[in-house]
Amino acid sequence: MRKRPWKTRTAARSIRLMAFLIAMAFLCGCLGNRYIAPVTTFRDKTQQTIGVLGDFYSSRNSFEIDIYLQTRAADKTLKVELTDSQGHHTPLGEPVFSPAGIKARLDSLNLVGAYASKLYDLSNPDQNASFSTATTTLGASLSSLDKTFQKLQGASDPTANKYIGPVSSLIGTIGQMFLDRKRDELITQAIRDGAPQVDAILSQIRDDMDKIFSLEVTTGANEKLATLIQAYNADRGGLDFEQRATRLAGIKAAANEAAPSVGSAPSSVATSMMEAHMALVNFANSPKNARPRSFAAFNTALDQWATQIQDVAAQIKLLIH
Amino acid sequence: MTVDTTTLAAIINRCFAFSADGRFSDAQQSSFLVDGKRLRGLLLNLLSAQFSDGTQAVLDANSRLTEVNTQLANDAAILNNAANALTNVSNLVGILDKLLNVAASFV
Repeated sequence: MRKRPWKTRTAARSIRLMAFLIAMAFLCGCLGNRYIAPVTTFRDKTQQTIGVLGDFYSSRNSFEIDIYLQTRAADKTLKVELTDSQGHHTPLGEPVFSPAGIKARLDSLNLVGAYASKLYDLSNPDQNASFSTATTTLGASLSSLDKTFQKLQGASDPTANKYIGPVSSLIGTIGQMFLDRKRDELITQAIRDGAPQVDAILSQIRDDMDKIFSLEVTTGANEKLATLIQAYNADRGGLDFEQRATRLAGIKAAANEAAPSVGSAPSSVATSMMEAHMALVNFANSPKNARPRSFAAFNTALDQWATQIQDVAAQIKLLIH
Repeated sequence: MTVDTTTLAAIINRCFAFSADGRFSDAQQSSFLVDGKRLRGLLLNLLSAQFSDGTQAVLDANSRLTEVNTQLANDAAILNNAANALTNVSNLVGILDKLLNVAASFV
């Protein structure tokens, strides 16, 4: 049988290879990186929340010292002491909240931050280290394909040369698709594996806020307000207009601190962070046909979280002394 | 097992509110402020106190907290008998102070 011309054999082989590559692209089933946007935003909002709540935790003992000294300022019969006459330490003598307890809370927050950062690293195409195994395996497969066409380069057959550019480009695209699919699997698994632990930490933080710090803040702010009011009422007869105005401005500031929304602010941001995390988990677990809906739900939760961070940051500033 | 610090905080906040309530005499207002501060000092310790399950002193204290909170929530009753309300709040200080000595741990 007469052999087909070399040109024709090359073209046929190239067409078969192209068909193979296109089939691989469809089998990959995952074009692009669906996680990069949501995970980037989740990481950024987590860092902002950590900043706001970290400031709050770090300021608790200072807040208590302020209340203690405020009471002394309002009543000149009271002495400043490190230990009172009953043998109890004052906030000056011993921190109301143990430094170890504050540090443990900050550490648990930072752990959630590290988790969000790792998710971002996994989703970021520029982070190659996580995919070294995948790329090595993939690269070996693709390079053999590439070599086939490299051999054609410069060959006497000009037809074959036309394939080199697009095939090399397609090899790159296919390679990226496989990397994206592998990345998707890794991130999905990371979110599933991490979800229970992250949820447990965030639940503890929220419960902490509700059962401990919310009570501390609201009663402390009300004590400060009541102390200032009583001191003003007792002293007002001996104050001139400017002195009264100054004292009343202090009472107004204390009234702002005592607003109910301020006491519940840290708990609110922890709750919205939990909801955004849950939406991310749902997005990771959603079947392909439900992804647009679950992604939209995640974005809605992110928007609410972002709004909470803004509101809470302003309110927490009132509490930080 | 823990003390009902949520109800305790509610009582404290009511005491502070009454300390600036013009329907009470100056002396009553001062008493509410002093008791409120004492209770708050106890609250800060009790927030981290853990007790063995079934500790009777805690059960009794929690029951008393509910009674006092209910009483303080009734404005008319308080205004009619502020002295009684102040006595109950003052007694609460003693009850809670003793609890700190039986706490199993502070976390």
